[in-house]
Amino acid sequence: MPTALAWSNVRSNRTSLVAAFTAITLAVMLVVGAGLLLTSAHGDGRLRDLMSLFAVTAGLSGFVSIFVVAGTLSLHVLQQRRTWGLLRAVGMTPGQVRRLVVAEALTVAAVACVAGSALAVPQASVTAAFLTRVGLAPGGFEVALAAPPFIVGAAVGIVVTLLAALTASRTAARVGPLEVLRDSAAPARVLPWRRAAVGLAALTGGGVLLRVTSTASLTDAVPLGVVVTMALCVAGSAFGPVLLRVVGGLLAAPIAALDPGPGALARAAVTVQPRRAAAVASPVMLTVALACTFVFAIAIADTSDGRERAGVQFWAVVLLIGTAVVYTMISVLNSTAMSMSTRASELRLLRSTGATPRQLARALCWESLIATCSGTLVGTLIAVVSLGAVSLAGTGAPWFGFSLPLYLALVGLCAAGGVLGALLSTRRARRGSLVTG
Amino acid sequence: MNADGGSAVRFDRVSRTYGGGPTGVAALREVSPQFRRGSFTAVMGPSGSGKSTLLHCGAGLDRPTSGSVWIGGADLAGMSQAQLAVLRRDRVGVVFQSFNLVPSLTAEQNVLLPARLGRRRPERTRLREIFDQVGLTGRERRRPGELSGGQQQRVAIARALLSRPEVIFADEPTGALDRSTGKEVLALLRAAVDEHGQTVVMVTHDPEAATWADRVLFLTDGRVVDELDRPTARQVTERLSRTDGQP
Ligand SMILES: Nc1ncnc2c1ncn2[C@@H]1O[C@H](COP(=O)(O)OP(=O)(O)OP(=O)(O)O)[C@@H](O)[C@H]1O
Ligand SMILES: [Mg+2]
Repeated sequence: MPTALAWSNVRSNRTSLVAAFTAITLAVMLVVGAGLLLTSAHGDGRLRDLMSLFAVTAGLSGFVSIFVVAGTLSLHVLQQRRTWGLLRAVGMTPGQVRRLVVAEALTVAAVACVAGSALAVPQASVTAAFLTRVGLAPGGFEVALAAPPFIVGAAVGIVVTLLAALTASRTAARVGPLEVLRDSAAPARVLPWRRAAVGLAALTGGGVLLRVTSTASLTDAVPLGVVVTMALCVAGSAFGPVLLRVVGGLLAAPIAALDPGPGALARAAVTVQPRRAAAVASPVMLTVALACTFVFAIAIADTSDGRERAGVQFWAVVLLIGTAVVYTMISVLNSTAMSMSTRASELRLLRSTGATPRQLARALCWESLIATCSGTLVGTLIAVVSLGAVSLAGTGAPWFGFSLPLYLALVGLCAAGGVLGALLSTRRARRGSLVTG
Repeated sequence: MNADGGSAVRFDRVSRTYGGGPTGVAALREVSPQFRRGSFTAVMGPSGSGKSTLLHCGAGLDRPTSGSVWIGGADLAGMSQAQLAVLRRDRVGVVFQSFNLVPSLTAEQNVLLPARLGRRRPERTRLREIFDQVGLTGRERRRPGELSGGQQQRVAIARALLSRPEVIFADEPTGALDRSTGKEVLALLRAAVDEHGQTVVMVTHDPEAATWADRVLFLTDGRVVDELDRPTARQVTERLSRTDGQP
C-alpha cells in the first residue's frame, strides 16, 4: 500500500516531483561526472594537478546536494501537512506515514540516479573539452568510461535521499490527525530541539576550527577555512528559519513601507512561514559562502606569496564555482517553484478580493528577493568570518581584498533564479481564470 | 461500570482544555455521555460549545486533558498513536465537515484507503454497493478536485461506511448538502444503525436532520445540558432557542 500511495502522490504533486528529481539528478550527474574525469585523468602524470580539482568538485557537489535534497524533501513534507493529517485520521500509523515518505523519495531517487548517470557522460566530455581548450589539460585528454564513478554516484544519490527522507518523514509522522482541519499553511514549529542541537554543535565546531585556522600555517589555513565555512553553513541552515524571521523581517520592513500592499504581503509570507523561505535561502547561503571562501582564500594565499595567478588557474576556479552556482540557481528555482505551487488558491483568493495580477507578481518577486538576499547576507557573513581567519594566518591581519564584480555576479544569479522560479510557478494562478482549478 | 455491555462509546468525566493558565479555553468540562450500541445520536448546540471537540475525543483524534474515553472495552488513553490509528482504520469511521479526501487519490481509492492500510481486501460487490448507495456510481475514478463539495462529502461517508465500523463519527455531514442529498446521507446513517447495528454520533445544526436520530444531546459551553429521546423537529427547535438564549 505505501508504495502504491507513494506513486499516486508523486504523480499528482508534479512540482515536488520535478524539484526532487532535478535536485537528485544534478547531484548524481555532478558526482559521476567529476568521478569520470578523475578516473580518466588517473595514471597520467601531466594531470596530477587536475585530479585534486576533480576530487574537490565531486566532494563539493556531494556536500551541496545534501542541503538541496534535504531542503526539497522537507519542503515537500511541510506542504502536505493536510494529507498527512488525513491519512492519520483514517487509520495510517505514524510508522506507515514515515515509510510512505521514504518510499516516495526513493521512487524518485531511483529514476534520478539513472538520469543523472546518463547525463554525466556528456557533462564530463564537455568539461574535458573545455579544460583542453583553455589549456588546463593536454590535448587528447578524453573521458574514458569506468564503472566505479557510476556506482559511487548512485550510492551518493540514494544515501543522500535516504537520509533526507528519514529526516523529513519524522516531520510528516508528527503531524496529528486533526491537522487536516487546519490550513495547510499552519505554522510549524520554527526551531525543534533537534535542529537547535545540530545548529549548536555545528556552531561550536566551527568556532573551534576558526581559532585553529587563524593560527595555522598558510597551506593549512586555506582548506581549514573551507571546512569552517562548511560547518557554519550547517549551523546557518539549522537556524535558517529563525535567521529568516529576523534578517528577512529587517529586509522586509523598508519594502513594506515603499510598496505597501505587495510589500506587506511579502513580509507576512516570509515571517509567518520562515521555514518555507528558509528552503529558498539556504542553498543561496551555501553557494555564496562556499564560493566566496574558495575564490578569495586562494586570492589571499596568492597575495601573501606575492604570486600572480595565470589565466589558466582562473579557469579552474571558474569551473569549480560555476558548477556549484548552476546547481544552486536550479535549486533556488526549484524551491521557489515548490513553495509557490501550493499557493494557487491563496493567490486566487487575493485576486478575487481585488489584488491585480501585477501586484501579485510584485509581492512574489519581493518575497523571493527577501529570501535570496537573506541567504546572501548570511552566506557573506560566514565567508567573511572564515576568510578573516585565513587572512590572519596568511598576512597577520584580518583584512583581505576581494573582487566585487565576481561577488555581484554570484549574488545576481541566485536572485534571478529565485524570481524566475516564483514567476514561472505562479503564472497560471496569477493570470488564469479565477474559477477553474 | 456495568453499562459497558451496552455502550459502544463511553465518556468518563472528560475535559479538554486548549492552552493553559487563566487564558485557557475549556472546550469540554467533565462530560460523561454514553452511546449505546446500535444507537443514532445527534449532538447539537451553539457554535463553540464543544461539539467537534467531543467528536474528536471520541474518535481518538484528540486526547482529553482529563477523564477517559472507552470504545467497546478499550480505554483510548492507554493507546499509542499507532494503536489509535489502527482503531480508526478498523473500528471507527470519521467524516469531517470538509477536507475529507486525499487530493491525489481517486474517489474509489479514497474509499478503500482504511481497508488497504489494514491490508484488508474488500469485495468488489461491497464497493459497488456502497458507491450505489451514496449515488456516485460512475464517478469512482474521479479525483476530489473533479467532484462537487457534496459529492466529496458522500465519498467520505462511503469511506466511513465501507468496512462497517462499530462507531461512525460525523461532523455536520449534511452541512454542505442540499435537502434531498442530505436526506439520502441521513438515510444511509440510519440504515447503518438499523440494519447493521452500528453506532452513529453526528454533530448537526439542522433540527430536521436531528429527527433522524434516536436521541439528541445538547451541549452548551462544554457541558451536556440536556437530552431528548425520539426528538421531533419542533421539540429540537424549541430546545435550541432556549440554549441559544443562554450566555
Ligand atoms: N485548536 C484549538 N485551539 C484553541 N481553542 C480551540 C481549538 N479548537 C477549538 N477551540 C475552542 O474550543 C471551543 C469548542 O470548539 P469546538 O470546535 O468543539 O466547537 P463546536 O461546538 O464544534 O462549534 P461549531 O458549531 O462552530 O463547529 C471553542 O471555544 C473553540 O474556540
Ligand atoms: Mg464544530
